Amino acid sequence: MIIPKALPRRTFLRGLGTAAIGLPFLDAMAPALRASTVPKPPVRMAFFYVPNGEIMDSWNPSYEGKFQELPRTLKSLEPYKDDMIQIGNLTHNTGRALLDGAGDHGRCCGSYLTGIQVKKSLVEIKNGISFDQIVANEIGKETRFASLELGMEDARQAGDCDSGYSCAYTNNLAWRSETQPMPPILDPRALFERLFGTGQPMTPEERLRQAKYRRSILDFVTEDTHKLESNLGPTDRRKMDEYLSSIREVERQIERAEKDNKQIDPHMDKPYGVPADFAEHFRMMSNMIAIAFQADQTRIVSFLITREGSSRAYREIGISDGHHPCTHHRNQPDLMEKVRKINEYHVQQFAGFIEKMKTTKEGDRSMLDNSMIVYGAGLSDPNAHLHEDLPTVILGKGGNYFKTGRRLLARRETPMCNLFLTMMDRMGVRTEHFGDSTGRLAGLDMDGLELG
Amino acid sequence: MQFGRGKPAAGAFFDSDFSTIDCVLAQALLHGLQGKNDCRVAIVTMSRPNLAVAGFTDMVERYYRGPAGNFAQVPPTGMRTSGQPGATSPAFTDPFALKKEDGTPRFVNHVKLVRDTGDPNTLFRNYMEAQYDKNGFFILAGPATNLAAALEFRGMKELIETKTNYLVAACNVEADVAAAKKVFAEWPTPIYLVSASIPFPGASIDKEFASVNPDNPLITAYKAYKSMPYDTPAPAMVATLYAARPKEGYFKVSDPGVIAVRDDGHAAFTSSAQGKHFNLTVDPEKQDKVIQTWVELASAKPVIPQRFRPPVAADGKKEEKKP
Repeated sequence: MIIPKALPRRTFLRGLGTAAIGLPFLDAMAPALRASTVPKPPVRMAFFYVPNGEIMDSWNPSYEGKFQELPRTLKSLEPYKDDMIQIGNLTHNTGRALLDGAGDHGRCCGSYLTGIQVKKSLVEIKNGISFDQIVANEIGKETRFASLELGMEDARQAGDCDSGYSCAYTNNLAWRSETQPMPPILDPRALFERLFGTGQPMTPEERLRQAKYRRSILDFVTEDTHKLESNLGPTDRRKMDEYLSSIREVERQIERAEKDNKQIDPHMDKPYGVPADFAEHFRMMSNMIAIAFQADQTRIVSFLITREGSSRAYREIGISDGHHPCTHHRNQPDLMEKVRKINEYHVQQFAGFIEKMKTTKEGDRSMLDNSMIVYGAGLSDPNAHLHEDLPTVILGKGGNYFKTGRRLLARRETPMCNLFLTMMDRMGVRTEHFGDSTGRLAGLDMDGLELG
Repeated sequence: MQFGRGKPAAGAFFDSDFSTIDCVLAQALLHGLQGKNDCRVAIVTMSRPNLAVAGFTDMVERYYRGPAGNFAQVPPTGMRTSGQPGATSPAFTDPFALKKEDGTPRFVNHVKLVRDTGDPNTLFRNYMEAQYDKNGFFILAGPATNLAAALEFRGMKELIETKTNYLVAACNVEADVAAAKKVFAEWPTPIYLVSASIPFPGASIDKEFASVNPDNPLITAYKAYKSMPYDTPAPAMVATLYAARPKEGYFKVSDPGVIAVRDDGHAAFTSSAQGKHFNLTVDPEKQDKVIQTWVELASAKPVIPQRFRPPVAADGKKEEKKP
């Protein structure tokens, strides 16, 4: 039997300078005639965190079990509801005051992935390692980046961001250790260069040189690309074409944003690659998450969409008041309606990312099927600053494990960390306790399917 | 207590199988004591898997705590999910048949499924973490099943020792001998065992209870429990009153000793200066006073809990939490 040599999974297209582009999973990466040994695509996980809670009557459906009509906030996810589980009643007790007084925003974000009650301080930062980083420590060596941390707003790491809680708590989701947060990348250009360069941002001189000749990052790897494509079958060639096109599209978006920003204000402080438009910024960042997953650059992403306690105004949808002030609505209908619109707007952006994940094929499934994409918040009712029944949806089947298309209600006060333990299992990292977990979250799996 | 100064009243953890009407009266008494700022009801848990009874205790909590608001959330009732559900007295279901003048139910049952309740261990842990050190107590009214299970829960023994001062137990040892053995052998704080009781006067239901607040769901529950008139033994009320007001001298407290539970369910007390167990008995001279206090507090109208703010030091700065 002739067994052609397979293309290594971690093949890069390399070129002169700083370009190094990972590849999506191709048929050529599995040895021919040995279907039984075809490696399963990896399971990925991502967290899309939205701040300031949700208006819960527009988040929670009035029913349990199989999805019927989705509630208002989640409407944009209607096309993907068969790929989704909405989980109710998950609680982060460590986000509660527990004698520390005001500061629910600082606590809820700080503890979201760590399950630890953070120390109320501006200088003595103390949290715990976040569970995504425990997973990254275990499996991160299999990918170019153990994890990626992204954001879209504020990356300050010092100062008072909520009633005596350091900005380190409100502005980071992932924590490498109890004192070391992992600041998110905000600038699409920086993320692009990280993913498709050497892993480090380019120097201004390198960037200038590239811009001067108006060359795409793909131009640097042309030779490698042609060489590789000549050995690929038609399916792989199509896959490569789509993949490289999506990289080029992101690159164009960044260039456009940089050009627009220069025209708006050449002296602006924020990086030129950050577009003024929220939706555009989100699209760029999330497109790169999808590409990073596709090329197996990483399997773990946390995305702090805006910082906890954010007072961003959403003028693009007609809301000039700050998000956070609106959430202190005191049950006033006009303010609640503004928050609902912001909540809907966030989910709309997220739905665009899910569309990309779902349409990206991996073998006979979609990349979404092999992922666990959590969209959620560290508060439920923001007016009351509640830490129970946290808004949580998971998109994707986690590698044919989750029984999706339904609303699952856990027992009241069930620790959020129970879900994290289950997700760690799916990522291949087995541990008995995490944070304040009391066990694994029951009822997520498909009937009769063993966890494995 | 001046608002915003010092520690709040001690947090009460009330665990019961609710197998007798005395346990229901004790729950009401606990809220009456909270209304006088003698304690704060942290959590109510049940040691048998009976949704109807859990629905009733949940309703009583909602009745006393008032509508959920910014600072007055109603925690779930904890319910054990294994074991036998036991009998469901009409006392636990009849109040739900009561109607308002407009025909709508006076009391709504929010517990339909197990997921509407909480896991007792999770609730013990979460709500103990919210207490100041040595500012809580447990009350046991029934078998020790839940408390024995708590001792097996990771970190719980240390938490009980850190956060609570004592356990007052009106313990039904025979109902779960193994659990009682474990609790008396391993519970990390002093235990006061209720060894005698005073009957609760049933006549007060149609008198004081009805005159203070005719909407009190306990009126219907008490009447549905047994044919009226009847008095009922009330060891759970003894435990509750002592737990919240240990210094009032309502009851006689033995010298310290050790209580060991034998296989036949007998709890034997042996005096020992090093012991941390105590027998709680009735002082006949205080009996009338106890009954009067029970009736006054258990029949009281709900006092909606207020938000407690962290202590403020004399210089006006917030008091730092000790590590």
